Amino acid sequence: MRSFAVAKNVLRRILGDARTMAMIIILPMFFVLLYGNSFSGSYNALSIIIVNDDNGLASVRTAEVGRVTIAVNLAQEFIAQLDPSIFRIESSDNPEAAAAQVGNDGVLASLVFSRSFSNAVVNEALIASGERLETLEGQTVTLLPSEPGEGSSTSMVIDDSNPLIAEAILSAFQSAFAQVLATQQTSITADALLDIRPLYDGEIRILDFTAPGIIGFAMTLITVLLTAMSVVRERTTGTLTRVLIAPVSAWEVTLGYTFAFSIIALFQAAELFLTSSLLFHVRFVGSLWIVALVILLFTITLQGIATLISTLAKNEAQAMQFVLFLVIPSIMISGVFWPLEAMPATIRPLSYVSPLTYANEALRDVMLTGAGIAEIRFELIILGGYALVMLLLAVLSMRRQAHTA
Amino acid sequence: MTDHVVQAIGLTKRFGRRVALDNLSLTVTQGQLYGLAGPNGAGKTTLIRTLCGLLRPDAGEARLLGWKMPSTRVRSQLGYMPQDFAVYEDLTVIKNLEYFGSLYDLSRSQIRERSAELLRLVDLTDRRRQRVGTLSGGMRRRVSLAISLLHKPRLAFLDEPTAGVDPKLRRSFWDHFNSLADENVSLIVTTHLVEEAQRCHAVGFLNAGRLLTEGTPQEVLEETGAQSLDDAFIVLQERGERS
Repeated sequence: MRSFAVAKNVLRRILGDARTMAMIIILPMFFVLLYGNSFSGSYNALSIIIVNDDNGLASVRTAEVGRVTIAVNLAQEFIAQLDPSIFRIESSDNPEAAAAQVGNDGVLASLVFSRSFSNAVVNEALIASGERLETLEGQTVTLLPSEPGEGSSTSMVIDDSNPLIAEAILSAFQSAFAQVLATQQTSITADALLDIRPLYDGEIRILDFTAPGIIGFAMTLITVLLTAMSVVRERTTGTLTRVLIAPVSAWEVTLGYTFAFSIIALFQAAELFLTSSLLFHVRFVGSLWIVALVILLFTITLQGIATLISTLAKNEAQAMQFVLFLVIPSIMISGVFWPLEAMPATIRPLSYVSPLTYANEALRDVMLTGAGIAEIRFELIILGGYALVMLLLAVLSMRRQAHTA
Repeated sequence: MTDHVVQAIGLTKRFGRRVALDNLSLTVTQGQLYGLAGPNGAGKTTLIRTLCGLLRPDAGEARLLGWKMPSTRVRSQLGYMPQDFAVYEDLTVIKNLEYFGSLYDLSRSQIRERSAELLRLVDLTDRRRQRVGTLSGGMRRRVSLAISLLHKPRLAFLDEPTAGVDPKLRRSFWDHFNSLADENVSLIVTTHLVEEAQRCHAVGFLNAGRLLTEGTPQEVLEETGAQSLDDAFIVLQERGERS
């Protein structure tokens, strides 16, 4: 069988290529470990503001002495039910300011308990009459059925630009309310107690939420692959040496590449945005110019990374492997499918290194909530810094590659 | 301005444990056609790449036009034809020439003029609109040569410009090299065909990273008492192995 000779030759060549061997061994394990670790299934450090105006008192009817006031402190109990490992709770005494804060500086929700919260819950909830209670004055009384109709007395504003997080916060609140109500022998549901105002009227779907990340990922894959391949080809065919021996600096060559691929990247971005909004009505309420700026900074960063990859790769096949090794994981760690808040602490440092994290965050803010330059300045600064550093490294590696061709 | 266009002083280059250049010195003067001959692996390409500043020597120094290499100052006056084709196979012959011409800041009309001239030299005028990838190996080498001479360099390093080129065209290449030298261009041309070095003003025989001898073809023949440069090279090689 000559096929054996062919197979043997193929295997011999792969075995002789240390980098390819390393990829073959490490890549599958790396992907599984990363995937398994990158989604913990629980959230942490969700930032919320609670305004607790509840006086903790409830006025109830009794068989013995008519109306009396009892201390129940239901808002307090509710707050105590929230898991401190999931929520980072900030207290405030200004309901309007708290509500206005939602959607800014990472604040995801505000919850305001009105002054009469405890009273409202007790009067709405207590159908169990005949229960004996001690009043504030130390007198034991028997409760009469309450008179319904006080209505719920909380108000909640939630940032639903991330439907996954909004969902998680709501379900945590509901179960906390359920815990509190369970102590009150009541049939009232948690839903009835929460007056929820979503910031975006629940218009943002999971598709909208993931679309910017997918677009960023598609751009990463195409730009990095294209750039790395072109540079490796220029180097292995010797044209790069020829270019760099001409009176052309590594800077000029790198910038030339950047110009060319920026045009391609912007075209691709336009295509991606157009198709996703025409075919899937992906939400786009922000400025096209800001999106273009984000894409541009992101592309320059990607090209720098690609040029570095091309330095490490001996040939185009190796370049391809490096790209897969670096780019595929980026979609898992950059908050594309699940929010960064759901990323385990062990993986999160990687998330903060990945430029896709910032591109994704910025695109999402602009596309979904119409954020302006000021609101995404943090992401822009990081991406700008990345672009600059990567451009410099690309120039250095270009210079180096002319000598190793 | 020194007359020494190329100066190599005690160049040593190692790749791992292999010594590719061994304390090598040579000089090339203005308008000189210098032939660098030697068998495969003798160090010809390494020497050229080191002289051009593409490789850093482990010891010694290289000077081109008086500048210590690597230097960016000589680039516009330097022509370099690498041993691999180093052309864009996905572009046509003329687009390759236009691109490299633009890197040397040649004007559009200069590029047109020079391209026509060089395409005549390498006999590819009819094929100028053909993609380089569709050309034969010998033709690609000819495209590569045309690119290297496009900007009228004062000093050209041509690494095996005649490999795979048929005898008639090879002769016209050497004629051209001679006429360039007459115009005061200095050329360093490598070849593994020792006989070709006959056409040079000076030849250097390279073996195992060392210059076995250097001089005019006549001097080399006299020194070795051989009838041809081929024989002279073999004599020198054997002499080197004995000592």
